Amino acid sequence: MITIAIAKGRMQEGALSLLARAGIRLSDEAVNSRRLALMDETGQYRFIFAKPADVPVYVEHGIADCGVVGRDVLLESQADLLLPLDLGIARCRIVVAAADAQAMTKVQGMIRVATKYSQIASAHFGARGIPVEIIQLSGSVELAPALGLADMIVDLVETGVTLRENGLTVVEEIAESTGRLAVNRASYQLKSYEVGRLVKALEAVV
Amino acid sequence: MTSRIPAGMRYYIGAEARLRRKVEDVAMSVFESWNYEEVITPSVDYYDLFEQGMGQREAQRGFRFTDSDGHLLALRPDVTSSVARMAATLLSDRPRPLRFCYAAPVFRQQTQSHAEWRRENTQLGCELIGVEGKPADLEVLRLAAEILSRLELRSKYCITINNVEIFNGIAAYLNLEPRPREELRRLIDTRQGAELQQFLQDCGAGEARAFLRPTQLTGKRDVIQVARSVITNARSVAALDALEELWTAIESHGLEDSFEIDLGDVSSLDYYTGLSMKVFVHGAGSSVGRGGRYDGLTGSFGRAEPAVGFVLNLDALTEVLARANQ
Repeated sequence: MITIAIAKGRMQEGALSLLARAGIRLSDEAVNSRRLALMDETGQYRFIFAKPADVPVYVEHGIADCGVVGRDVLLESQADLLLPLDLGIARCRIVVAAADAQAMTKVQGMIRVATKYSQIASAHFGARGIPVEIIQLSGSVELAPALGLADMIVDLVETGVTLRENGLTVVEEIAESTGRLAVNRASYQLKSYEVGRLVKALEAVV
Repeated sequence: MTSRIPAGMRYYIGAEARLRRKVEDVAMSVFESWNYEEVITPSVDYYDLFEQGMGQREAQRGFRFTDSDGHLLALRPDVTSSVARMAATLLSDRPRPLRFCYAAPVFRQQTQSHAEWRRENTQLGCELIGVEGKPADLEVLRLAAEILSRLELRSKYCITINNVEIFNGIAAYLNLEPRPREELRRLIDTRQGAELQQFLQDCGAGEARAFLRPTQLTGKRDVIQVARSVITNARSVAALDALEELWTAIESHGLEDSFEIDLGDVSSLDYYTGLSMKVFVHGAGSSVGRGGRYDGLTGSFGRAEPAVGFVLNLDALTEVLARANQ
């Protein structure tokens, strides 16, 4: 048996339908229950549902053998994991956004960046030698420039509607993010047959 | 006075301390039965030694401080560097081979991953210096397997083996600059199939197709056959030959169930020159041991000679066994 951690929220539905197409199904009754740990219909897979940022933690410690989670979360966590498959689900972009479309050309001295992704943001600006003050927020990041808390934000964008409604435009794209299959390093060796079977089954339906 | 304990440090009390001692005794008695001599190296040494021995990236993880004359010291982050120096200097006249073992605490200020939270752990290790190729590689692999079986981990552990020259040969064949070479290494290490495909399209290389399917990188003898069908450069082919020969020897000792070939193990390329190995145990989320051949190391202390060794993490093993006993 192997344990798969699924990121709750925007990843969950796409992950479950992809797994179902690969022949790994949860009963409707199980999905609709409020239990956080479930077995699939064959009893070969155990699912746990966790907050996205916790998925790399479970997988890195080997509590879950595999995880389905966005690349944004993986980049931010800097967890030491294997990433054999891009599942192509929940596609979105990690971007720098500001009120002024030319903001990047006007950078002088220091900029204040509000974000949920402090690691990604500091790596992005750090690589280009731009000094930044990172302001860590846990939600509604788009508010920060309008209220004067920050000059720019680093955030996830799917359609861009929320950005526009808050008077922001994308000034730079940092990376594309999609759902990934992450695998624990020890499980990859010790349960190579089971993990290999899962990777192959998913590979066929991606 | 403070009641706090620094991150990554811990106590062992009573039964747990006894279990830890037992694991250490098992390993040391196996080493002894293979004629490995115990060595105790200095706990504090010049930082330069470790930078030379482990490479800058690893040595920098150590705790560093200055001596009274201003020289940079380090609390040893590994033992191998010190043993290599000893072999090349203090023991340069001793007849070869040299066989040494140790049970010694090592210290890292920064850990490698979140799952390895310990900043002090005891390495159970051995070094075999002055013997080339398969016989020496096989000896240390058998030693590692014997210790793990004696710990009653049988069928619950897996030792992965690889030869780093397979990757090095391909990188040289592709004429990769240091940066793209590191990028290729990282993509293979983390098995990022899709990104790897993109990378290889950009540099147009058939040779590296061996790394494209992450699930085909690990397994038994068949892994080598798959790799042979795409790899043609002489350096990598020689490494594949050596790996296959080693695998045959492992089979002839009936140990193939405990071993796997993992062509994707490219995590410590700066350090190893041939065989590289990792040890995984059910119940531990990351590897509990590693090792390999480091023929380049003693040369940096003035006497180049072949060497191979491995370490097991006593604290990680104790934790797994303690949890299994509960």
